[in-house]
Amino acid sequence: MKEKLKKGKVTMIIIAGLVCFVLVLVMSMQFKIINETDITSIENMRETELRTELANWKQKYEEANTKYEETKNMIDEYKETDKSNNETEEVINNELNQINMSLGKTDVHGSGIEVILKDTQNEEIPKINADDLLVIVNALKLAGAEAISINDERIINMSDIVDVDSYIKVNGNRILSPYIIKAIGNQTYLESQLVGNGGYVDDLKKSEYDVEIQKNDNVEILKYNGEIKTKYIE
Amino acid sequence: MTKKITTSIVLGIMCFALTLGIFVQMKTVKNTNMAVSQNYEENELRAEVLKYKEKYDNKFKELEKAEKELEEQRRISTENNDELAKKEEEIKAGNKIIGLDEVTGPGITITLSDSKLDINSVLDPNSLIVHDGDILSVINELKNAGAEAISINDQRMVPTTGIICGGNIIDINKEKVGAPFEIKAIGLPEQLAGLNRPGGYLNKLKEEYSIGVELKKSNSITIPKYTGVLTYKYATNMN
Repeated sequence: MKEKLKKGKVTMIIIAGLVCFVLVLVMSMQFKIINETDITSIENMRETELRTELANWKQKYEEANTKYEETKNMIDEYKETDKSNNETEEVINNELNQINMSLGKTDVHGSGIEVILKDTQNEEIPKINADDLLVIVNALKLAGAEAISINDERIINMSDIVDVDSYIKVNGNRILSPYIIKAIGNQTYLESQLVGNGGYVDDLKKSEYDVEIQKNDNVEILKYNGEIKTKYIE
Repeated sequence: MTKKITTSIVLGIMCFALTLGIFVQMKTVKNTNMAVSQNYEENELRAEVLKYKEKYDNKFKELEKAEKELEEQRRISTENNDELAKKEEEIKAGNKIIGLDEVTGPGITITLSDSKLDINSVLDPNSLIVHDGDILSVINELKNAGAEAISINDQRMVPTTGIICGGNIIDINKEKVGAPFEIKAIGLPEQLAGLNRPGGYLNKLKEEYSIGVELKKSNSITIPKYTGVLTYKYATNMN
């Protein structure tokens, strides 16, 4: 009787031990799975960012490819016109025109938008200042603007926009309200960078500034009306 | 006999606890399963991004080679004619101004780094980091002081360069750069160093927001060229 009882007890302990062992094993396996998935789910949050990044590189690739084809064509044109000065002049003028366009030394036109800001009579609303214009110009550049001007002052690579006394100076020249910022580029991109959530023009409107955006299929932007001089770069 | 019952109860409780544990975990795993499958898509995306980045890098190298070839061909084609040679010089000079060529000259280097103050010691932790607006203002002041070429962490400022915040990194020329920000500018060093004046923007960053500001003059600074291309889809020259 005593023997039998002991045997039953031993069997029970062994079974209980086995069950416990299996359960702990399963638990630890699951812990491992959870650990692994935890790491990846953090990366999961970046999906939209990845999509933007992809579109970004695709666009950069396309642009580089176009530029490459253009450059190759230009080389061929120079080679073909090797013996004739007149034809060479045409090719070099084309090239120079493109660079002058980037420099802001040519009048340009194309589809785009105009942002019109006016100082209001209401004294509680601050006057438009240089920083307002700087932020709008930066937003337009982010939206891919190909040429920009403020009250016909062309924004070139070296342009500054500063407050001097109670005036705004662009390229060292004083400008007055109303401020008309013209930009050439994709109208939808340009506008959406300024309106909607976090858009600067919308922010200004909420603060009761007098500001509006007009789309224009033929925006004309004048060239920089000074001489672009450099003294220090080599 | 009482001993047997006690053992059984203890064992029963143990089994129950373990089973409960497993159930909780099962549920968690089930929830994360969705994340796992989405993640597959993400890896695909990541691979795709890398693929295009590599394609771009290769194309850009090809483009650089072609540009050198073009420069050489242009020189050969114009060397027998003074007027054309002058235009060739004009093209080269123009490329330096718009940022399509590397430039060297005297100037300054400004380094902006996030504040070292403890985040918990201030009301607004956001004020301790360098923002896109800060960089925009500094760049504008540099241009006002006559800077002829500017780069931020080696991203050259070209006519189309925009600057925007994306979390604690900043996007310049669609490339991501992080603090500390090293801003290089070529121009008259004494005049550019005027940015350090009391009441200037750099001073405000240092005094009011305890942002790390360092300004160094140098006789020779090299600013790299733009690592993208300038293309025009909407604008055309007027005749």
